[in-house]
Order: sequence, then C-alpha cells, then structure tokens
Amino acid sequence: MIPSKVTAHPAAATGGPAGRAADMALVERCRNGDLAAFEELYRAHAGKLFSVACRMLGNPSDAEDLLQEVFLSAHRKLETFRGESALGTWLYRLAMNQCLDFLRSRTARTNQVTGTLDDEPGLSDTASRGLAERTVARMDLERALVQLPEGCRAAFVLHDVEGFEHREVAEALGIAEGTSKSQVHKARLRLRAILSAAKS
Amino acid sequence: MMVECTRYRTSIQELVDGTLGPIRRAELDLHLDQCDGCRALASDLQAIHDAAASLEPLEPPGAVWMQIAGRLRQEGRVSAPSIVRATPRHRAVLLALAAALVLAIGASILLLLPEFRATREQAGQATTGEGNATDDVTVQSVEAEFRLAEQHYQNAINKLEQAAKLDQAAAGGGIDPQTAAVLQKNLQVIDQAIAESRAALRSEPQSAPARDSLFDALKRKVTLLQDTIALMNEMRKGNPAGGAQLVEGLNKS
Repeated sequence: MIPSKVTAHPAAATGGPAGRAADMALVERCRNGDLAAFEELYRAHAGKLFSVACRMLGNPSDAEDLLQEVFLSAHRKLETFRGESALGTWLYRLAMNQCLDFLRSRTARTNQVTGTLDDEPGLSDTASRGLAERTVARMDLERALVQLPEGCRAAFVLHDVEGFEHREVAEALGIAEGTSKSQVHKARLRLRAILSAAKS
Repeated sequence: MMVECTRYRTSIQELVDGTLGPIRRAELDLHLDQCDGCRALASDLQAIHDAAASLEPLEPPGAVWMQIAGRLRQEGRVSAPSIVRATPRHRAVLLALAAALVLAIGASILLLLPEFRATREQAGQATTGEGNATDDVTVQSVEAEFRLAEQHYQNAINKLEQAAKLDQAAAGGGIDPQTAAVLQKNLQVIDQAIAESRAALRSEPQSAPARDSLFDALKRKVTLLQDTIALMNEMRKGNPAGGAQLVEGLNKS
C-alpha cells in the first residue's frame, strides 16, 4: 500500500510574518543600491531558480543566460515588490515567466511542435505495461521532463521537484489552483507513458 | 482496467499529492486491493513523484553572479563597493588569474574566424538563385529589426568599453602591461570577425548564417568586456577566490 505523504520541502517554506519582514528589509537594502544585499538575495535563491531553469529549458547554457536576465529583471522590478507574497515566490514567478517566454520563442524559431494539455495519454495505453521497476532513475526522469508540454512541465517542476503546494504553484504561475492540480496530474501520467515506453 | 477505475483517478493523484482525506482513502484502498491496474498506476505515479522530489539541486557557475554584478555596476544601478587594495601576494595571484582569463577567452575567439569563413561560404552558396523568391516587404522588415538589434549590441559594447576604461583607471592602472597587451590582441581578433561579418552582410544582406555569425561575434565581445570588468573588480577588491571562479566559469563555457 502506498503511504499518504504530505510534502514538506524546504523550498515550500515561504516564511511567515518574520520571513516576510526579513524579505522586506533585504529588498529595501537592494533598492538603495546595496550590491552586497543583492548578492545575499542572489545567493539565497539562485540555486533553486537555476535548477528550475535547467529543468524547464533542458540545458544549462540557456539556463545560465536566463538566470542572469531573471536577476537583472528582478533588480529593476524590486520597486514593485510589496511583500504580498514571499520574495522566493515572487522570484519563481519572474523566472517561470521568462522560462515560458523563452520556450515559446524557441518553439516559434524552430517551428517545433509540442503537445497540448488536451492530448493526455490514455490510461488504458499504459496501465497494463506500467513501469518495469518501482524506482525511477533520475537521469531518465530529467530526460523525460523536457518532453512535457511547457505548461504542465512548469507545474510539475514547481510541485513535485521543488515541493511547492498547489496554492503556491498557482501563485507562481498566475493560474488557478485547480489548474495547477490538473497540470501536475497530467504531467505525471504523461511521464509515466514516456518512461514506460522508454523501458519497453 | 474496470470501468469504475476512472472514478479513482483523481483519488490516486491526491494520494500521491498527500491530500487525500481518510474516508476517500479507505474507499480507494478497497479498490486498490482488488484492481491490479490501479495499484500499478498508483505505484508508478508515487515512484515518479518520489524521483522528482529527490532530484539534486543544480548550482549555477560563479561567473553568472560576476556578470550580473558587472551589468548592475555598468548601468549605475548599485553603489560601487569600497575599494580594498590587494596585498602583494593577492595581486600576484590575481595577475595570474587575469592571464588565464585572457588565454581562455583568446582560445574561444580564435575559433570565430574559421567558423565565420565557413558559414560565409555556405551562405554564399545557399543564397545563390533564390533572391527573386524573397518578398521585399518581409526582407525590409527583417532588415530593420536586424539593424535595431545590431545597434543594441553596439551601444552595449560602447558602454562596456567606457566602463572598462573607468574600471582600469579606478584599479590604479589595473591589469599589468603584458596581460593588457594580450587582451588587446584578443579584442582585435574579435573586431576582425565583426568587420568580416559586416562585410559579408553588405554583399549578402539576406544571409542568415552571416547574421548569426555577426551576432555571435558581438555577443562574445560583450561577454569578453563584461568578464574583463568583473575580473578588474575582483582584482580591485583583492578577491582571488572571485577571480578564480570567473576563470573557472570561462574555461567551462
């Protein structure tokens, strides 16, 4: 029997009032042109955003360029940060928007055809095969991730990889909570189909 | 798979999410006990979720922060850090790093010329005989966009060159003469690649490879200038670790 599990991931700990106050203090120093403060902000969030960008874009080189643009853009937009969401969530939202813009422009450049969320693989196609093993190799999963349509890839990376709750994924992506659930669920089914096909 | 299995799809996903309530959980457990297909589905989705949660975080190269800090300084968006003079030992280490940086950049720049010459030849072959099929309006609009993008790069380069001169002055002479000479030589090589790309574009304005080559050369010049400024800043701060990170990042790229 599969244990029911409540995700408690460090990335999902977006901070209570004390965390928000610390965020605002750091942001205020950055707004005043304090480079050391901005480096502090970078060191606190760059790793997570770089991981997300790598998994969204599929290669580290593009992720490095994107990370640079995300932080330059964040510095410009700090004036608009009001502390209504955690600083981490705000940065994730900036990063995800830039990832999605990048993917759309790359798709437009290459005329790459990507699947839509509507063409969900049928359960009947894959249920009988299943995954040959009960553990999924990380490398296989990394490769399968880039085959997901961008919308459900974004939701899956934030929820299952980064450990955000659906409410936070919805906030970061600017979508409804129900849409986040639906996209994560579709992503898992699609990944199962991709991984099963790769094993067979 | 039984027809009623579709009723349990959402429950299985919520089980994996960790949000399935106890009553629906009990109902699902009963179904899973008698349905191999749904049990396999639940196991697979849980395995995917667990594998995803265990993916390692990835670390960005140190050069990324250097470039961000360089851009912020260059655009005047942050206050300049207080100048800390390097000790003689640090200065020797940093000069060695500067030399390594220049060599690393130089090696990548030297690749530009043969690459460009090859693409220019391909472009010449590819564009022969297909000029009449091109729509004039589209060509003009692409040309206009291209000119804007090129201007954007050129403006960035001008500002960076200015900032590099200011940084070098602020660093009290900055880079030693030998390193500066090698750096200057690398800039000349990349400038030559830019000039050749522009010449090719004048003769073949629709050549996409020639445009790519020009943008690539311009981008490399921007990166070279940004990295030079970042390294000078690390030298000024007496920070060998920062300089080493920068050189390491360049060697990886």
